[in-house]
Amino acid sequence: MDIQIIFASILPDRSPWFIIGPLLGILTAGFFLVMNQPLGASGAYTQTLNFVQKNGYRTIWRIWYFVGMAAGGLIVTQFLQDNPGFRTGFDSFRSASPLWIVIPIIFIGAVLIGYGARIAGGCTSGHGICGIAQRSKASMFATFSFMTAALVTTAAIRLISGGKL
Amino acid sequence: MKLWQKNLFGLLFGAGFGGILAAGTLHEYDTIHSMLRMDEFYVYGFMGTAIMVSMATLWVFERNNTRTLVGEEIKLERSTPQKNHLKGGAIFGVGWAVAGTCPAPALVMLASGAFLAAVVIPGIFLGIHLASKGDNLGFGDGEHHSTRESSVAV
Repeated sequence: MDIQIIFASILPDRSPWFIIGPLLGILTAGFFLVMNQPLGASGAYTQTLNFVQKNGYRTIWRIWYFVGMAAGGLIVTQFLQDNPGFRTGFDSFRSASPLWIVIPIIFIGAVLIGYGARIAGGCTSGHGICGIAQRSKASMFATFSFMTAALVTTAAIRLISGGKL
Repeated sequence: MKLWQKNLFGLLFGAGFGGILAAGTLHEYDTIHSMLRMDEFYVYGFMGTAIMVSMATLWVFERNNTRTLVGEEIKLERSTPQKNHLKGGAIFGVGWAVAGTCPAPALVMLASGAFLAAVVIPGIFLGIHLASKGDNLGFGDGEHHSTRESSVAV
């Protein structure tokens, strides 16, 4: 607890986008300098899955990358921000629907995320940021596709929920 | 580069990425949802500046023939658009809107103490498993093809 009191609220609840956006850009480009690889998150999932399933192809550092993402999130949310502890997440979704509806729906959504990312060969970070930064046409197509699908789906959710979501 | 160095860099860059996402509350359903409802500019500004800065930096690297730490030529991957990019992207986009999160923020969500992430993360793994169909090759532009040869059984 003492550590939390010392470091808590070093960061605001939400840092300005014009600071952390460029920071992520530098991190992405810096990763090419060090590892010569794009910084994609779904690749880390695939490698972790391969590792668990004992498949032949695996790059161990992507598993460390997987662990690192959670560790970085832990340090920031639990120690550097002023709102540590447990929460349920999905605030607005949960205030609109009971938990027995929320859980199956977000599970189905998550399966679609994994399935789609695997077929497209990347997700928001791999295609959306790293891919476009490399000026890859395939990534621009994939990003256009998932942005369009997400905006249309959100509009549909808004209609179905009667404007609550 | 030695294996432990690669692992360490993987961990550090992962932590940086996760930390940045957490600082921007990108792991919160409400943040993603309000972006997709177009109520808020925040995430567009975040992703837009991230793309612009990394694109410009990589362009400078390419022009100056910058070498990596171990003296390799920087390899950028540019695949030709194919059906799978559009199809996979569309499926991913629907899931993104429904669950209000994507693979990296889901891990941060768990770290933030949000226990519903324990529903999301297994779901993502299941989706990847279902789409893999025994083909355990790596990712496209999210992961360079060159890793495939060099990383077998590492």
